[in-house]
Amino acid sequence: MVEKLGAVAPAPEPEPERPAGNRALRKLRRSPAALFGGLLVTFFVVVAVLAPVLPIPGPAETDWGAVRKAPSMAHWFGTDEIGRDVLSRMIWGAQASLLAGVVSVVIAVLLGVPLGVLAGYARGWTDAVISRFTEALLATPFLILAIALAAFLGPSLTNAMIAIGLSAMPIFIRLARAQTMSVLTEDYVESAHAVGVGHLALVWRYVLPNIFPPILVQATLTIATAIIAEASLSFLGLGQQPPAPSWGSMLNIAKNFLEQAPWMALWPGMAIFLVVLGFNLLGDGLRDALDPRDT
Amino acid sequence: MNDQPPLLEVRGLSVRIRGAARNLVDEVSLELNAGETLCVVGESGCGKSLTALALMGLLSDPPLQLMGGKALFRGQNLLSLKRHNLQQMRGDQVAMIFQEPMTSLNPSLRIGEQIAETVRRHRGVSTADARARALEMLERVRIPAAGARLDAYPHELSGGMRQRAMIAMALANDPAVLIADEPTTALDVTIQAQILELMRGLLAETGAALILITHDLGVVAEMADRVAVMYAGRIVEVGAARAIFEDPQHPYTIGLMSSMPSFGDSGARLVTIPGVVPSATAMPPGCRFAPRCPFVEDACGAQPAAKAVGSDHMVACVRAPLGVAA
Repeated sequence: MVEKLGAVAPAPEPEPERPAGNRALRKLRRSPAALFGGLLVTFFVVVAVLAPVLPIPGPAETDWGAVRKAPSMAHWFGTDEIGRDVLSRMIWGAQASLLAGVVSVVIAVLLGVPLGVLAGYARGWTDAVISRFTEALLATPFLILAIALAAFLGPSLTNAMIAIGLSAMPIFIRLARAQTMSVLTEDYVESAHAVGVGHLALVWRYVLPNIFPPILVQATLTIATAIIAEASLSFLGLGQQPPAPSWGSMLNIAKNFLEQAPWMALWPGMAIFLVVLGFNLLGDGLRDALDPRDT
Repeated sequence: MNDQPPLLEVRGLSVRIRGAARNLVDEVSLELNAGETLCVVGESGCGKSLTALALMGLLSDPPLQLMGGKALFRGQNLLSLKRHNLQQMRGDQVAMIFQEPMTSLNPSLRIGEQIAETVRRHRGVSTADARARALEMLERVRIPAAGARLDAYPHELSGGMRQRAMIAMALANDPAVLIADEPTTALDVTIQAQILELMRGLLAETGAALILITHDLGVVAEMADRVAVMYAGRIVEVGAARAIFEDPQHPYTIGLMSSMPSFGDSGARLVTIPGVVPSATAMPPGCRFAPRCPFVEDACGAQPAAKAVGSDHMVACVRAPLGVAA
């Protein structure tokens, strides 16, 4: 059955030159929804970053001659109840929102993923303790938990970010734990054992890179949730403190003037809607692009 | 064979599922001499792979449990090594190649890094030296354009190429014993022949001994110095390849040999062994082949002891040795 086939010539192989990430990237670019989401996110990021150099009045600069003025050439987005330029506050508020979204998710990932990997890798008692803790956190609705933590820590943007990060952490613990357990059943982990790869190397070079795609997707989607949470906390006065601008606190004040100055509520509401839409579309696109089952 | 003690001596290796009544691998004893190729043959589920995993300390416990036995390698019992020593042993002195090249490489690590990692780990050399060794190994397993493949990801290689890479990784630290669990089963026949030829060449170069696990008697005929035939968790016959092929003594081995298609008698029906392997819960108490054996007799109700029927030929059957004119 196994006759000799002459010399063992190098098997003829087509030259496969395709860096690994490219396939996902190409798929991402082909999805109009993901592209649109990416554009929205990029737009807000660019605006937030450029805030200090844009030719706009300061976000806390009051103009008592122009209180609650409708949008005009002088104030494109109108002015608020003490004559501050709403466009300027929107742009500076984007900084707070995006910062809160990203920083809180970074906190959630940095705490949640190691705990989840530890639980999924060690199993046994470690897993039981971490998992029960996670379930207890998950039993509390996300926003309620964030509000409770923020109220406990005291109102400030930093504390809001910590509160949101801690509230978003259990999702990442769960995800990382499940993904770790699934990666550990792969043949390549067994073959890693067979060549004597140790625990740390196994986690660092085998588990983490392979659980990265789902974590990235979850993180992108969680940024959207975190931005809403920051807006909610600021709306309740637990986030960004006045006079520093934040979309949530702008909405809070705007609700008092809905009839006289509806633009005060329109812009922050729309901005929150668009940036959350952007992150959600981008996250969905990433999920599809990184899905190995669908080529 | 010779007076030297075997390189690896397995005695009474037993594995079972926790809480089960019978062993999945039962009292398996094997000897592997330096530089030789021992083929372990048997049908699916007979415990070949479990035996290999047990030797590597890779049994997933639970559900599997090592019930006893020794595996002496250079004076050390592999089965009782501490975790740390085991990790040092694996991939260094004893290495393993798996059946599925498609899934046995880390998809998010470049080929070169995976090979270099095992070299660095066991030899403590610099990153550059480890990379040089990885390149050398890729060239030795005749991967074309080895320099470029060093930075390729596994999904960029074909199955045959990946199996070559696995072999390169397994041999990177010059192990004394290589365990290969059906290394060619997932490959098509021409690639299979290339890989086997490659392994033979490399073994001859490095002097490593090979335990080759397979269900393919063609592979056995090609590769084996010695053969161990397993049935339902037990070794039923073991000996020099020539002895096993020319004078099979156990009814199961005889059945296996005659169920192999050959060129001579086309048209004739292949011989089959009636029945199926008993399940782990319904193992007969004596000879496990008895329910399917055409020559079964009363004495088969007790486990037959292994008998020597030649200078390097042991059989576990009450009827052995078969008389010349029996």
